Amino acid sequence: MVHDDYKEMIPARALSALDAAEERALNEHLENCPECRKELADWQATAASLSLASDPAEPSPEVRERILSEVRKDRAPEVIPFTPAPRRNLWTSFGSLGAIAAVVLFAALSIGLAVLWRQNQRLKSADEFVQLVNTPGAQVRELRGNDPGQSATAKLAYDRNGRAILMASKLPNVPQGKAYQLWFIVGDKPPVPGKTFVPDSTGNAVLNDELPRDAVDADVYAITVEPAGGSSAPTSPIYLRTF
Amino acid sequence: MLKAIAARDEAALAQLYDRYRVILFGLLMRILNNREEAEDVLQEVFLQVWRKAQDFDENRGRPFTWLVTLARSRGIDRLRTLAARERVAEAAAREAVEEFSDAATDAFKSEQRGLVNKALAQLPDEQKRPLMLAYFDGLTQSEIATRLGAPLGTVKTRMRSGLMNLREQLAGKGESFGF
Repeated sequence: MVHDDYKEMIPARALSALDAAEERALNEHLENCPECRKELADWQATAASLSLASDPAEPSPEVRERILSEVRKDRAPEVIPFTPAPRRNLWTSFGSLGAIAAVVLFAALSIGLAVLWRQNQRLKSADEFVQLVNTPGAQVRELRGNDPGQSATAKLAYDRNGRAILMASKLPNVPQGKAYQLWFIVGDKPPVPGKTFVPDSTGNAVLNDELPRDAVDADVYAITVEPAGGSSAPTSPIYLRTF
Repeated sequence: MLKAIAARDEAALAQLYDRYRVILFGLLMRILNNREEAEDVLQEVFLQVWRKAQDFDENRGRPFTWLVTLARSRGIDRLRTLAARERVAEAAAREAVEEFSDAATDAFKSEQRGLVNKALAQLPDEQKRPLMLAYFDGLTQSEIATRLGAPLGTVKTRMRSGLMNLREQLAGKGESFGF
């Protein structure tokens, strides 16, 4: 076969409709023919437009959750929450403004931490939280309700890599099948969904999450009540938020 | 967005999902005609995107084409595995399709959908059928020839003419398919 014969087979290849022997032959040719590879890419674009001839359909919300939880599992080994904070770096860089800021932050947060400890009696979570806020560049934001009478509050700590821990207290129980969900809001963009969580019987909750890159230093962090699997866009009013 | 996914940005994957789920799921439903299977394949597709996003080469096509080609290919693979070609009473079995949100359909404006359907409506049936049987049912040219009781050479010609025709109809409107 010559180049033109192969070229003629390309539209069918874009629809993956070639019989096995033809496809093998064409694939061999494609390896050595940039022109035909380009041609195939063009035909594939045309073939892809056929997908729009099918009616759009909405998958169940669980599919999104399953995908994201698989992905988180996949990532898990990269995130090592129990690595001790790099204290040595802190002291060796002492003298720089960053280190001073870190020390001030550390002091301020240690006080906050003592409160958190009392509130939560959760040694492990608090330990992780303090390690996180000890990381250079870490930030802590407080979330409150719009209503001053609302007693639930939360603190969100995050570092420059987007590792985040949310500690909440005095949260009311959510109804069966519902959960709290964290959101990141940047500018006028639609809120980006974070993970869902459910408080324990005393109304305390701890959530480990990863901030999307563009949500580090988001304008607003907020919490809403959503179906247990989480939503891709908020379906209820904001319950707690940063101000 | 695919670059961010290649850099292990989980939120970018979520965004990509939110943007394309409706079109890809619609495609998979059309191919598989079974909600559970279609959802399972949809999940497979996005996990593959997560693992393979670095293979996407923007010089060789648009993200939309890449995603749709991947989803369609996984859908057809599943169809073959299920040997479900003799789908039972298609119309009766077709499950109700839930309503989809405005946000999700935004990316796939009815305008583009309309263009494709209009272009397909202009194709002679003899060209359209081989295209649809190949694309949505995953049949090869020989299988289509058997199905239609037409000579293989004729099917080849009609399929090629059909796709060329479609390309011409969409030419100049192609930019709208880049998403």
